[in-house]
Amino acid sequence: MLELLPILTSLAWPFAIAIAWIAGEFGQRFTGLPRISFYGLVGFLLAGPQLGILPPPDAGSVPFLADVAFGLILFELGYRINLLWLRNNPWIGISGLVESLLTFIVVYLLALAFGTPQLTSLMLAALAMATSPATVVRVINEGRSSGQVTERVLHLTAQNCVLAVFAFNVVVAFWIFRTYEDLGDAIWNSFVLLAVSLLTGAVFGLTVPALLRALRNPNQDATVAFALAVFLLVAITHAAGLSPVVATLAFGLVARHRRVAFSQAQRGFGALGDLLTVLLFVFAASTLDWRQVAAGSLLALVLVLARLVTKTLGVTAFAHLSGISWRKGALAGVALAPLSVFVILLLEHARQAGVHVVEELRSIAAVTMLLEVFGPIIIQRALVWAHEAPEGQHAA
Amino acid sequence: MPLEAFAPSTPLTFGVELELQLVSLSDFNLTAASPDLLHLLARKPFPGNVTPEITESMIEINSSVHSSYAPLLAELQQIRDTLVTAGDTLNIGIAGGGTHPFQHWSEQKIFAKPRFEHLSSLYGYLAKQFTVFGQHVHIGCGNGDNAMYLLHALNRYIPHFIALSSSSPFVQGHDSLFDSARLNSVFAFPMSGRAPFTLSWSEFESAYYAKMERTGIVKSMKDFYWDLRPKPEYGTIELRVCDTPLTVERAAALAAYLQALCRDLLERREAAPGEDAPVEDDYLVYNYNRFQACRFGLDGLITHPKSYENVSIREDILATLERMEPHAEALGSLDALRHLAMAASDGSDATLLRRQYELQGSVEGMVHAAINWFRGERRFRRR
Repeated sequence: MLELLPILTSLAWPFAIAIAWIAGEFGQRFTGLPRISFYGLVGFLLAGPQLGILPPPDAGSVPFLADVAFGLILFELGYRINLLWLRNNPWIGISGLVESLLTFIVVYLLALAFGTPQLTSLMLAALAMATSPATVVRVINEGRSSGQVTERVLHLTAQNCVLAVFAFNVVVAFWIFRTYEDLGDAIWNSFVLLAVSLLTGAVFGLTVPALLRALRNPNQDATVAFALAVFLLVAITHAAGLSPVVATLAFGLVARHRRVAFSQAQRGFGALGDLLTVLLFVFAASTLDWRQVAAGSLLALVLVLARLVTKTLGVTAFAHLSGISWRKGALAGVALAPLSVFVILLLEHARQAGVHVVEELRSIAAVTMLLEVFGPIIIQRALVWAHEAPEGQHAA
Repeated sequence: MPLEAFAPSTPLTFGVELELQLVSLSDFNLTAASPDLLHLLARKPFPGNVTPEITESMIEINSSVHSSYAPLLAELQQIRDTLVTAGDTLNIGIAGGGTHPFQHWSEQKIFAKPRFEHLSSLYGYLAKQFTVFGQHVHIGCGNGDNAMYLLHALNRYIPHFIALSSSSPFVQGHDSLFDSARLNSVFAFPMSGRAPFTLSWSEFESAYYAKMERTGIVKSMKDFYWDLRPKPEYGTIELRVCDTPLTVERAAALAAYLQALCRDLLERREAAPGEDAPVEDDYLVYNYNRFQACRFGLDGLITHPKSYENVSIREDILATLERMEPHAEALGSLDALRHLAMAASDGSDATLLRRQYELQGSVEGMVHAAINWFRGERRFRRR
C-alpha cells in the first residue's frame, strides 16, 4: 500500500485534467455553458484545501506548463490585434483607458472603505483593471464568434492587460520599497520591465517569421514553430524576471504584422492548445483555498459588481463615437468581465519576486473564483446577445 | 406571381452591382461583419445603395442609373471611399475578387432575412457555398423585345466578360487552376445557365415563364440564376457572369464595354435586320466557350458560334475593343476601353492574384494585397 501513494500522487494531475475535460464536455452539452467554467470548478474542488486530491501548486512542472498555456493564448491575442485600427479609430483606445482608470479608482476606494490596507487596495485596484485573455480568447474561439463586440473585446483585453501589468508592477515595486520617495523609481522600474519584455517579444516576432520564410514553406503548419517559440519565450522571461504576459503578447503582435500565415485551422493551437487550456484553468482554480474565498466573499461580490459597472460605463460612453450602437457598446463592456486566470498568474509572479501578498488578498481569491466560473458565462451571453456567437447548445 | 410588365427605361442607361468581401484584419478570413457595417453606414448618407447579401460576410453595393461612364466611375469611387472609411472605423477589410481564397463555406453565417433563410433551407450547403462575389451590370433596353434580342445577341461575348473580370483563381486554400472558379459555384444551382431562346418578350412571358410558374418551381425572376437575365421591373437585362473585380475602376470599365457592345448590336440590327441575328444554334458552343473563359481566362480559345472558327479570347477581345471605339467615343467611354485593352494585354486580376501568392507565399498575403487594391492608389499608403 505504501508504494502506491507516490504513484497515486503522480497520477493526480493527469486524472484531474481528464476529469475536468469530461466535466467540460458533458457540462457544455447539458447546459450550453462554456467548457472552461467546468474546468475551473473541477480544479477548485480537487485542490489541496478542498478535496485534497491535487498536490500544492508549487510542485512539479505544472505552474510552468500553465504559464506556457497562457503564453500561447496571449500570442494568439497579440496576433489578432491591429494597431492601425487604434490609429484609425482612436475612440477605442480612449474607451479602454477610461474604463480601466475608472475601474482602478472605484475598486481602490471600495477596498479602502472595506478596511483593506492601502497597499493591498492599490494592488487589488491594479489587478481589477485587467481582463482575462485566456477566458476571452477561449470563449470567442469556442463560439467562433465574430463582429464588433468580439473585435473590441479582444483589443480592449490586450490593452487592459498591458495597463494592469504596468500598474501592478508599480504597486509591487512600491511595496518592496514601502516609501513614497521611491515611487518614481517604482514607476521607472515597472516601465523598464515593460519595455524590455516588449522588446524580447518583438525580437521573437521578427525572427520566427523570418525563420519560417527562410524555410521557404510558411504555408506549412506554422503551429509547431510558434508553439516552440512561445515555450522558449516563457522560459526566458521566467529566468530573466521579465513579464511573460507582455512578452508573448508582443510576440503575437509583431508576428501578425510580419504576416506569416497563422491560419484559422491553427486557431487556438489545435489539440495542443486544447490540452493546455484544460491544464491552465484547472491549475488556476486549484491555487484557491475555500477559506480565503469564503473570508473575502462579501468584498469580492461588491468588487465584481463595481468592476462590471465601471467597465460597461467606460466602453458604452464611447460606443456611438467609435461607430457602433449603444447596445453593442454596452455588451462589449459587459464582455470584459472575466478576470480570473490572469490575476492568479500575476500573483504567482509577484510571489516568485518575493512579495508575499497572496494571504492578504483574500478577497481577490474570492473574486477569482467567482469570475473563474461566471466570467466565461457572462462573456458568452454578451456575444450571444450581440448575435455574434450562436445560441446555447451548439456553442462549440 | 405572374411576370411583371417590362418597365420602360431609357435605352443604354446602365448601373452596376458589386458583391464585396468583408475580411477580418486579424486573420484575413471572411468575417460576419455586415450587420455592424450596415449599422454604421446607415448613420450617414451613402452614395448609391448598400444591402446585405446571403451570408454575413458579404455586402452588395449598387450605383444609381447612369447614361455615361465618367459619372458611373465617380460614383463607384465615392462609394468605395465611404466603404473604406467605414471599414477603417470597424477594423474590417473590404475587398473585391470572385472568391475568398481560403474561407470555409461551413463557417459562414446566413444573414437573418426570410428570403436568405428560405434559400438556405432549400439549397442546403449550396447556399453557403454561394459565398462567391460577382459583379452584375444592368443595361436599359427600352422594351422587352429589345431586351430579349440583346440578351441572346450578347451570347458570343459572354467569354469576354468572364475573362476580363476573372478574379477567383483560389478556392478553399488551393489554386483551382480556373481563372474564374466562381462560376462553377453558380452552375451548381438547378436554375442556372442560359435563358431559353426566344426573341419576343410576349413569347417569353406566355410560352416560357407562365409555364414555369405553373410547375411551381419558380415564383419570380429572382429564382433564375442565368448568366444574362431580363429584369422586367427595371426595364433592363442583367449580366451576371462577371467576378467582382479587384478595383471599382475595372468594374466601371466592364460596364462601359457592355454598354458599347449593346449600342453596336442595336445599331447593327437596325442597319441590317436578320443578318447576324442570334439563333438557337449559337448556343451549341456556348457552354464550351464559357468553360474556356473560366478555365484559361484570356488565354482561352473560343469557337465562333457562326463560323466555328477557333480564336484566342485575348485577340477576340482586343479586336472587339477596337471595333467598339466609335461607340465609346459617342458614349464617352474611350478611357474605359483603353483600361480593358491594357488588362487584356497585361493579364487579368486572376493573374495579379496568382503573382501575389508567389510573392507573398501565402493566401493571407494575397487577401491583404486585394484589400489594398480595392482601397485604390490614393488610399494605398495608409496601410
